[in-house]
Amino acid sequence: MTKGIVVLAQNNENDDYVEQACLLAMSLKTHNTTPISLITNDNVPDEYISLFDKIIPIPFGDNANKSEWKVENRWKLYYASPYNETIVMDTDMLVLQNIDTWWDFLSNYEMYFTSNVLNYKGKLADTSYYRKTFIANNLPNLFAGFHYFKKCEFAQEFYHWLELVVNNWETFYEQHLEGSSRPKHVSIDVCVAIVAKILDCEPAITNKISKFPSFTHMKPYCQGWNEVQTSWQDQVGVYISKDANLKIGNYAQTGILHYTEKDFIEKSPALERYRNLTNV
Amino acid sequence: MSKGVFLIARNNGYIDYVKQAVFLAKRIKRHLGVSVSIATDSVDYLKDTYGTADFDKIIQLEWTDGTNLRYFFDGSLFKKTASFKNSNRASVYDMSPYDETLLMDTDYIISNDLLKSCFDSKSDLMLYKRSDDIAKVREEDEFKTISNTSVDFYWATVVFFRKNKTNEVFFNLISHIEKEWNHYRRVYQINSSLFRNDFAFSIAVHIMNGFQPGDFVQELPGSMMYTIDKDLLWQLKDDNMMFLVEKKDYLGEYTAIQTSGQSIHVMNKTSLSRIIDEEFAND
Repeated sequence: MTKGIVVLAQNNENDDYVEQACLLAMSLKTHNTTPISLITNDNVPDEYISLFDKIIPIPFGDNANKSEWKVENRWKLYYASPYNETIVMDTDMLVLQNIDTWWDFLSNYEMYFTSNVLNYKGKLADTSYYRKTFIANNLPNLFAGFHYFKKCEFAQEFYHWLELVVNNWETFYEQHLEGSSRPKHVSIDVCVAIVAKILDCEPAITNKISKFPSFTHMKPYCQGWNEVQTSWQDQVGVYISKDANLKIGNYAQTGILHYTEKDFIEKSPALERYRNLTNV
Repeated sequence: MSKGVFLIARNNGYIDYVKQAVFLAKRIKRHLGVSVSIATDSVDYLKDTYGTADFDKIIQLEWTDGTNLRYFFDGSLFKKTASFKNSNRASVYDMSPYDETLLMDTDYIISNDLLKSCFDSKSDLMLYKRSDDIAKVREEDEFKTISNTSVDFYWATVVFFRKNKTNEVFFNLISHIEKEWNHYRRVYQINSSLFRNDFAFSIAVHIMNGFQPGDFVQELPGSMMYTIDKDLLWQLKDDNMMFLVEKKDYLGEYTAIQTSGQSIHVMNKTSLSRIIDEEFAND
């Protein structure tokens, strides 16, 4: 049984998601031997190619060529993954520890989405500010930014439904979401939640008690602050030691960090640190 | 294993901490039944004014003029600036004559025996993290974390510790944080330059936990009940107290609240002083 991580990266005019995926791959390699494959139609700089097990073109054409967030291709990951067991991650994440034991936990499931995310203090994050659609429509609080699937009938069915919902999101939103709470754009998390609702499979694909596997979600309103600014990087300092131990607001970070802000790579020395550590 | 309560009293010309310590020592003996020692820079004043019968050991501290200045409120309509001599609290580890010590602020009014259980506890270090404003209608966020984005707040008002190598490191760390306060307050996102022991203890707990949430320190039994210095301690009879608690958003207006058998941290030291005077006069 092969195991690996898969990320989808599609650059837009302003954002270099491939670079984010490369940083993620470097952070993964620092602590893990798990292979990572990149699904992209964009150019990967020569010095970063060796970071990846496979670089795979987006299958079935590009459905997101006109979109900014590029989520329209996310349903293809099931078909694109070269592994029997796959963890899907967003590109703007860092792996800060060995996650071998997470695979053992995940192997108990056919698909698994985290439904508890953490803040930088390691406490369960209150995501209600960003999850108004989920609350208003009683949708399962799933996060597609980190999820797992086995190649199996159930996961294939789930992803098939995801294809339908993503490709017809306005219709499904109309059917499943109360009017005022409908997002104006396609959201992969909302689409995943709608599929989970249609298949009535929430207990089979998440574990509300377990704190791990999960990730630290750095969106500012998740942090439990009374006064919140636009960027979390304006409120707490980031410190990365030479061996890539990361502290945010003087809290040591472990697990997976979802840094969410695109300028994190420019503002922090993360890229330099990981390049040194992985000899890239 | 020797055990006892340790108090620190350093007068500042406005608040008579020695008087508070004498008052508290009597209550500790009544409720907790353990010895009390005191470290003070006013030993002669203690001997001449109150006598030494309430204390097991008296430790002389050097007199220094406090450099920390702060307001001392007496209700919301009166305040006075005075020095706040809160330095070297961490040296209690070396000063305490006991193997098991309960360190207490002198403005903590003991009214029950809850803290007695510390001496039977398996935990070697306990502080209060849970706290309750007796008014229950005001913002309590300043006692949840040491600043908006920083670490959890632990009270240094009451601390239980056993002497061991780990706790020695903990108290040495607090001394270091105090010495390098301007560095630590910036790293921990604290805007005020005023050194506070609560902050130093909170930072030290965070560091001893490996910069993560952890269980290095255990919680003292119950929770830290407190009244702020905008409230007035109005009456005390045995273990019953009446406070005039400032109404939320109504400056200078108060609601009476009565407590019974509840130990309370009284931040209005001036009103505490008046009550102690009445108590001593009745004695």
